[in-house]
Amino acid sequence: MIMDYAWLIPLIPLLGFVAVGFFGKKLPEGGGYIAIGTAIIAFVISALVSYEYLTGDLFAASQPYVADIQWLAFGKYEINFGIYIDSLTCVMMLFSSFISTLIFVYSIGYMHGEGQRKRRYYAEIALFLSGMLGLILASNYLEMFIFWEIMGVCSYLLIGFWSFKHPEGDEASIKAASAAKKAFLVTRLGDVCFMTGLFVLLWSFGNLDFTTLFDPAEIAGADGTMILIGSLLLFGGVIGKSAQFPLQDWLPDAMAGPTTVSALIHAATMVKAGVYLVARSYPLFIQNADVMLLVAIIGGVTAFVAASMAMNNMNIKRVLAYSTISQLGYMIMALGAGGYLIAMEGEVEASIGYTAGVFHMVNHAFFKALLFMCAGSVIHAVGTEDMRKMGGLSKKMKITSATMLIGSLSIAGFPLLSGFWSKDLILEAAMEPSILGLPAGTIFLFLFALAAITAFMTAFYMFRMWFMTFKGQPKEASEHCHGESPRSMTVPLIILSIFAACSGFLIFLGLNNIITFSVLDHGSGVEYLVGGFGHTAGHIFESIFTNVWTYVSMALALFGILLAYLMYCKGSIDPARFNSNGESKIYKFLTARYFFPQLYDQIALKLGYGVARGVDYIDKNLVDGTVNGISNAVVGGSGSMRKMQSGYVRDYAAFIIVGVIVLVAILYVIVSWGGA
Amino acid sequence: MNSFILPLLLLIPLIGAILSVAMSRKQEYAKYVAIICSAVTLAITLFCLYDLSNADYVYAQSSAWIDTESIKISFAVGVDGMSMLMILLTSLLVLLVSVFSSSEKDRPSTFFALIMAMEVGLLGVYMAQDYFLFYIFWEVTLIPMYFLISGWGGPRRHYAAIKFFIYTHVASLVMLIGIFALAMQASAGGALDFSFEAVKAASMAGLFSPAFQLVVFGMLFFGFAVKMPLVPFHTWLPDAHVEAPTAGSVLLAGVMLKMGSYGIIRVCLDVLPDGAHQWQTAMIVLAIIAILYGAYACIAQKDLKKMVAFSSISHMGMVLLGIAMLSGIGIQFAIFQMFAHGLITAVLFMVCGIVGHNAGTREIPLLGGLAGKMPVFAAFMMFGFLASLGLPGLVGFVAEFGIIMSFFEYLADIEVLWPIVFALASLMLTAGYYLWAMQRTLFGKETDKIDLTNVHDVSKLEGISLGVLCALIALFGILPALAMGLIENMPLVLWGVV
Repeated sequence: MIMDYAWLIPLIPLLGFVAVGFFGKKLPEGGGYIAIGTAIIAFVISALVSYEYLTGDLFAASQPYVADIQWLAFGKYEINFGIYIDSLTCVMMLFSSFISTLIFVYSIGYMHGEGQRKRRYYAEIALFLSGMLGLILASNYLEMFIFWEIMGVCSYLLIGFWSFKHPEGDEASIKAASAAKKAFLVTRLGDVCFMTGLFVLLWSFGNLDFTTLFDPAEIAGADGTMILIGSLLLFGGVIGKSAQFPLQDWLPDAMAGPTTVSALIHAATMVKAGVYLVARSYPLFIQNADVMLLVAIIGGVTAFVAASMAMNNMNIKRVLAYSTISQLGYMIMALGAGGYLIAMEGEVEASIGYTAGVFHMVNHAFFKALLFMCAGSVIHAVGTEDMRKMGGLSKKMKITSATMLIGSLSIAGFPLLSGFWSKDLILEAAMEPSILGLPAGTIFLFLFALAAITAFMTAFYMFRMWFMTFKGQPKEASEHCHGESPRSMTVPLIILSIFAACSGFLIFLGLNNIITFSVLDHGSGVEYLVGGFGHTAGHIFESIFTNVWTYVSMALALFGILLAYLMYCKGSIDPARFNSNGESKIYKFLTARYFFPQLYDQIALKLGYGVARGVDYIDKNLVDGTVNGISNAVVGGSGSMRKMQSGYVRDYAAFIIVGVIVLVAILYVIVSWGGA
Repeated sequence: MNSFILPLLLLIPLIGAILSVAMSRKQEYAKYVAIICSAVTLAITLFCLYDLSNADYVYAQSSAWIDTESIKISFAVGVDGMSMLMILLTSLLVLLVSVFSSSEKDRPSTFFALIMAMEVGLLGVYMAQDYFLFYIFWEVTLIPMYFLISGWGGPRRHYAAIKFFIYTHVASLVMLIGIFALAMQASAGGALDFSFEAVKAASMAGLFSPAFQLVVFGMLFFGFAVKMPLVPFHTWLPDAHVEAPTAGSVLLAGVMLKMGSYGIIRVCLDVLPDGAHQWQTAMIVLAIIAILYGAYACIAQKDLKKMVAFSSISHMGMVLLGIAMLSGIGIQFAIFQMFAHGLITAVLFMVCGIVGHNAGTREIPLLGGLAGKMPVFAAFMMFGFLASLGLPGLVGFVAEFGIIMSFFEYLADIEVLWPIVFALASLMLTAGYYLWAMQRTLFGKETDKIDLTNVHDVSKLEGISLGVLCALIALFGILPALAMGLIENMPLVLWGVV
């Protein structure tokens, strides 16, 4: 049973971290090959484990594989450590380890010129991979939280990779250091919520094992209010980690790290941890329809807000960062809509929202990793991230431009590419509650509208980016371009572009039966099932193509691409018309990121530094001032005391006797009072 | 073997102190005396741990010292899980600090003698089973620390040393009155018996009325609170730390502060359970004030070492919060936090010592971009800071998680949940000041305000001390059951309060 060795999956990259960290200096490429090796081994074991699980009896019965040991017991609580494998685990670990492997390989070319720092880089990404896989395989919330935070630290370290001695100078170093701190602190706010959720759930259930918490009988026996509070707090963690509104603003700044890090951590894997947490916590979240409604609203608003910010940004990586936030919002919205439906309807076989959200997560991992790595390839070649300095690169970088075109078409939802299928399922899921006439139907109609507008914006900003980079007249930075990137970079691009184009078809090839969540009502009680009971391929195909909204979203996407073509390639519409030459208020509002950075700064300044200055003042003047005041009074009074130091033993004896009498009197009072 | 192993534990550092003083002609060998004696002490401690984990008994040894008709003082020592953990921490930190400071050039024989003398006092406090003995050892720790600060400290060392001495000594006297009250009440007119056993028996027999407990708890608590220290009785601590040499700071924050919380658990909670319940709300309020006040004060500090000193106040407030829950979980994790904080804060003060020594200043605004020049140092500093802010997987997280969990349990029982926000706010603030400090010292532009041309990274011996500590921080973070088992399974006394 290879499944019994699934714990090796996070352990091997961890060993890689130790090996690279301690001996990387002496290894070729700073230990890069070790990191790649551990990623490959992790992927192979993941694949074997997934194969064994998905072909085994447990999957057929929609039951998870669980193995754990006790980690810590205190009072009436127990915390275990172990692995939990169901079909969601399999999907997550497969795409995470696969994409990590490709990005690690790509890093060999991308980070080649970093010298001594390569060791640090490879050690940190190996630790990161260990954290991600550990999170996916965790068998309880505390274990998940530990890996969640380990990833957070790796993210912090890697965003700040150039926080000292930046190749572009001190200004860039200062920015990287600040971005790293911001990422850690903003997500920390979510993490503190997550941790509080753990207290609530631990108090309610006595342990944090998924097997306990997802058991309908246990849930029925627990305090409903506590489950509500616990679910909301867990979602707070999601808002931080998956950069959801209003904690989204750390992610654009996180682009200060190397592009490979942006591709791996801030697009393909870590930021998905929040989405994974929502999907994983479905049995808890569906207990309250309002929680799921909130999840959907946050997701929808995030998708829209982030996409709007990408519309006029000039930095190639930031456009992709906003796009990531927006797409994460899509996933969260789909999961919320699907969960809302279950919460209201009770029995649901294979929730569309759940399938859509997780499916989009997989597709997005492929095309967004691809897009970031293409952007990395461009940045590597031209030495800038500013799209205004690029242009006309398609001739010099054929592979990069072609693969990036595939990625852009895919995310824009071009028919038959991967993004098309999952985005369509998401729109369908968002619409479903209002079609069924559920209480929050109007809200979902509004969310659907937001999602449709977002689909248009996505197509527009992606192609604005692609045209500005690869078409038109070559600008100053393009002149420096020496041509295509090395093979270690282009081969991963080609492999990923195949997946970005085709991964959507997986939904017809079995994934429809793997990423599902069903609630079955047996009369005597309900049962929550992950995996199995999926819609047939035919049913999904039919529901996509018979739905009129499919054609609306397709038209919106094509219109977005067309508009971008007219504005940034053909030049028949002048972009300046839309922003009044930079004077437009909306334009400024978008450039200022809805003033979120200022809001964060003000909160930190007022609630943090401001209060701190006050406390410091009180400490120095009032608290310590009192102490010094007392001591001065005593020392000042010592002048008169000195007169009493007459030198006669008789006097000293008198003082000592008085002192003793006072002491004894105090004791006598206490003792006699206490004894009474 | 059993009967003399604890006295032996006291004797070896005492011999070390005497030998070290005797080395005044061959000063350069004093460090070897200190390292060997503290290593032997640690070895005996580890043997005790091994031996005790295989047995269902605890070491205890008692022989009459002063035994007259009116007063009984015995040389009684004994250990339980809490004591053993503190003894382990003490002997470990003394060894590492001796290794760390082995390049001390200024009067090394006296320097190491003082450290060894302090170890005697600290170990004595943690194993005493007689109140008089406890008080003597308590005061014994004071004197070497006073001389370490005033002899090897910074520019304002005399002010800081005298403030430290007088402040904590006044508190000790209040505590002494409390101890006399306990003994007098327990002896009920007979010979004054100071042994833990006699007082505990009196407590169990109900000789301490609620009113008596209220007052005496207050006196003892004040004595311990100044040591911990709790806001507003803390101002001696930042001054003492800023001026103290690194070795002094490590021992002061690492083990001396724990004497306060140890005393509260060992004395106040155990024999005055009623007083504890009467003081519970006040303790919770004091704990929360200490946690938040300490954290906020950290944000405003410009001296890196002063910031770390204030972070100790915040983290010791966490210990009191756990204690104040008066529940099994709360106290267990409070003890765990004492251990965790001891390991972590040792790293932090060593790091401060290195930056002060190597870069010539600890002023945060003068530093910047040190990670480029001192990569190994930067790694240790980051590790220490992340451990201190409660990174999961490291020892501090387990302690904080348990304490806040016990706080949540308490709040859920009284059905008032909102005060949990205070504990959570401290998690944010702690992350805030540590990350901000790292940003300004390690990262960004390499500073041009100080001369960095001769700055070098950590030395080999410093690296060993820090490396051992970091390894232990990770070990106990991954396997907290190692320490929790000790706390749970080896009770000499069941806390009367739970």
